[in-house]
Amino acid sequence: MNKPVNKTFGCAALFFGLFCQSILAAVPEYHIQLKDHLFFPSRIIIPANQKVKLVIDNQDNTPEEFDSFSLNREKVIFAHRKAKIFIGPLKPGEYGFFGEYNPNTARGTVIVEHSKKESPDAN
Amino acid sequence: MLINTVILFLRDALPIFVLVVYLYAHLPASKLWLFFCLVAGALLSLAYINQIHIIGQWFDGNGIELSLWLSQLLIYLLTLVLGYGLTRVQTSYQYFMFWVAGLMISLTLVSKGSNFILYFDGYLNQSNVLQPLLLGTFLGLGICLSLAVLLYLAAQWLKQQFGPWATWSLILVYVTGQLVNALPLLVQVDLIDPSAIAWSSQHLVSDEFEFGHLFNVLFGYQAAPSNAQVTVYVLALLIPLAIFYWLKQRSASQSGNKQ
Repeated sequence: MNKPVNKTFGCAALFFGLFCQSILAAVPEYHIQLKDHLFFPSRIIIPANQKVKLVIDNQDNTPEEFDSFSLNREKVIFAHRKAKIFIGPLKPGEYGFFGEYNPNTARGTVIVEHSKKESPDAN
Repeated sequence: MLINTVILFLRDALPIFVLVVYLYAHLPASKLWLFFCLVAGALLSLAYINQIHIIGQWFDGNGIELSLWLSQLLIYLLTLVLGYGLTRVQTSYQYFMFWVAGLMISLTLVSKGSNFILYFDGYLNQSNVLQPLLLGTFLGLGICLSLAVLLYLAAQWLKQQFGPWATWSLILVYVTGQLVNALPLLVQVDLIDPSAIAWSSQHLVSDEFEFGHLFNVLFGYQAAPSNAQVTVYVLALLIPLAIFYWLKQRSASQSGNKQ
């Protein structure tokens, strides 16, 4: 008689576990510096089909807007402030980004590859 | 700097111009409400920028994205109120519509105009960029004003041909586009999960081209929209159109029965 109750409880526990796993799953972080209106590193390699977090540190005295048409992202980063942006999961390929206020110099590329070539926090 | 300023005008000032001319064509002519809501919007933008560092720290650093998305949602809801106003004939509703339109313009000025203030605030103190900055401003303003005049004439013609529902439909298409454009803000702060790309028309009209910018402002064009954006766009556009069409038909049949 308790079997249906146990089954329901088991299913609920399973879903709760999966929910917690999705919340607690660590999202890899990639750090980018903005100095003298240049992104460093200007090429970031990230794994395919995985959500990642970009942390951009604006070390300039002026604000900048991180912008990317292919990534569909835009975010203002104030002078001497950091900003975080989640991107992905993405298919393998190259995705350009630029600073909207200085698009001639502040340019970079997110390279999405199947195999993870470098450790995220090495940036 | 010159080109950057022009592009910034196309991306952030053009949406303000478009909404103002659509509303100006939609509502009975009155210059005073437009002046007041532009002043109110400019003051609100300054207040927003003044507090933007604090707002940015709200909700674990997601305050700016959330506030911008909420303002777009509010503008969309106000558009529905504007549509409801068309089904009412009382004079009090007409005055109420001016307030609604004023709030829509003020909120658009805050969300789009704040970007300008940040840009000019950062670079206006640098004497070497002052000349291209001013030149870019005049060029950008010229382009926006030219397009605004063309759109106003088109909206007026549509209103004369098909009535006020035509201009309201233009506003709805524009506002829905802006709402869908704001959806990636929630994805970039990880509040909603990203969905797959529905299609890519990058080879036809790229987001980076002038037409891409223009279409994006007019009806929310995106070269590679996500499934979520397409779903929200279709629902946000079709549901109000269907409801207001039904309301219009019902009121027409009721007035027919009374006669």
